[in-house]
Amino acid sequence: MPVKWVLYWQPNQGSTVSTQILNEAAQCAESINGVKEGRWKATLNYYKPMLRDQSNHPDLPRDFLGISLADQPSKYYFIIRSQRIVVEADASIQLIMEKLQSYKSKVSLYFDGFQYQLGDFRLRVGRVVPVHSESIRGIVMEVEYLPISSVEKARKVMEEFVEIWHEALSKRSLSGKFVNTELNFGEFGLGDHYTPQHTGVQYAIVMAHMIATVQPVVRG
Amino acid sequence: MQSLQQLQLLQNPTEAANSQSELEAPPKQVAQAMERLNQAARVIADIRLGADRVFEALFLTSHPRTSTTDTSLQLLLKEDASMRQHLHDLRSIGKKLEESGVLTESLRSRSNSWGLHMPLVCPDGAVVAYAWKRQLAGQAGASAVDRTRLALKAFTDQKRRFFPHIDDGVKMESRSKKHRASHSVLEHGGGEPFDCKTLPDIQSRLEKLVPNVKVSTYGRLSWLKRANSLPGSGSDDDPPEASKLVFQSSSKLRSGLEAEVADKVAVIELYVPSVFRAVVSLNPAGSVDPDSVAFFSPDEGGSYLHSRGFSAHHVYKHITEHASTVLQYFLGFGTGTALYSLLLWICSFESLFSKPCSKCGRLLAMDKKSALILPPLHRAYQELPLAANLDVCEAYHGGCSPDDS
Repeated sequence: MPVKWVLYWQPNQGSTVSTQILNEAAQCAESINGVKEGRWKATLNYYKPMLRDQSNHPDLPRDFLGISLADQPSKYYFIIRSQRIVVEADASIQLIMEKLQSYKSKVSLYFDGFQYQLGDFRLRVGRVVPVHSESIRGIVMEVEYLPISSVEKARKVMEEFVEIWHEALSKRSLSGKFVNTELNFGEFGLGDHYTPQHTGVQYAIVMAHMIATVQPVVRG
Repeated sequence: MQSLQQLQLLQNPTEAANSQSELEAPPKQVAQAMERLNQAARVIADIRLGADRVFEALFLTSHPRTSTTDTSLQLLLKEDASMRQHLHDLRSIGKKLEESGVLTESLRSRSNSWGLHMPLVCPDGAVVAYAWKRQLAGQAGASAVDRTRLALKAFTDQKRRFFPHIDDGVKMESRSKKHRASHSVLEHGGGEPFDCKTLPDIQSRLEKLVPNVKVSTYGRLSWLKRANSLPGSGSDDDPPEASKLVFQSSSKLRSGLEAEVADKVAVIELYVPSVFRAVVSLNPAGSVDPDSVAFFSPDEGGSYLHSRGFSAHHVYKHITEHASTVLQYFLGFGTGTALYSLLLWICSFESLFSKPCSKCGRLLAMDKKSALILPPLHRAYQELPLAANLDVCEAYHGGCSPDDS
């Protein structure tokens, strides 16, 4: 599977996230000869356990995350970042959890946006929106380098691409920038060959950063 | 609209002439009609002149001082005769034109025999039978020039791509002479005896020089099996399943051919894990003469993975194109060292995703021609095969390469 980096938008101090940034990013992709390919979407859920006694169990993890990825429609991925766990499951697990009433989703988020092809690179830019709401919580960007699937070998290529992207975006004088997170896939038991689990882990970390730094906006 | 008429003309030549010359090609009919119209124009001019003379004669008769009535009468009679002749000529030409379908009433309303709407007088005053003829003639002339220009451009482009060393006459000659001399030195062994004429020798030499590259040899059939059994990009499901199917189908072919081709190596695969897979084919099988090479992603698999195939990814596609040029260069020496040089050069791509361009210092750059962001796809090849290691193979982007004019 091609190597993918997940970046998120970090607004400058005091400024907010808006759809304008999404449009600017889309135009930027086109300015470096990107070809629009269509839309993409994914969903993310934070789960909390449903227990008979509602007392707080301190040892149960609070960051239990489930994510569906656009590339893998038949799978669902669970990540517990604090314990460095990532698991792949069938997409029907969501139905099972609902029927068993074992876990309940406390926060649901949608990712949706556009996809661009830039030669051997594939770019996806999308907004993060809570379900049943129009306000944007953040913006994510996926960069994929299609020819190779080794995380190490692709590192330099991805770094330079992100630099080129930053350069192109800086011409638009937006109040913020896309940030890449430094990851250690080894901690999660993942190897050099890229897999959807790697994407899941990146999203979990991106979400943690986003929640910590971004303030919600009423009108996107 | 005029091009539509031209099309109709080409498609309906037979409708034009109903009485004679049905089988004549449209150009001949056009020529005939042009001729007749010219004749008609001359006759009309004659009639005009004749009319002038008649007026002159009448003028003379009204002025008896300048001439006698006799001469004017003669004049009038003469003019009358010639006028009648002219008008008769005009009538016959007109009839001929009508017969050939040029002058018909229906022509004005709807495209008929030749589908021509003909303004006889062009905006600049020139009298032309068919307005589109001028356009056609102009177009024919212009397109001939354009076609020649395009052909010349295509030829020089291809020459530059595949035989760049031919361009630079003086400079390359001296360099190639030096290389020819050094290649023969290689054959007879300078420091250590090295014969790059046999495959095992080449293989062992490469293993020493570039240990990260896996060099494997195959017969043609076994390469096909291997190509089909490689996991295709993105899907890791059941490669053993795929290879089982291929074994079943090819076992039928085996019986007769296997005995012949069993020992003949026809395909060499160079695999650098996670970077690239290159396929070189030898022609004839069992020799050390390469005839084509192609690069692929290490994750690609399928029957299109052969030395004349193309990768699904732009970076490997571009390298493959560059590789054909380099192969021609090595073959051009004719010293039998082409295979070794080529394989050595291919191994220099181990650094494809890590070695920045020697000119601009960056790994990625926007390639102007293809409008794609690519790593350096060119590797210097003129110093091979004498290089002690592959560091002399400098990396360049397509646009930064000194070879590019």
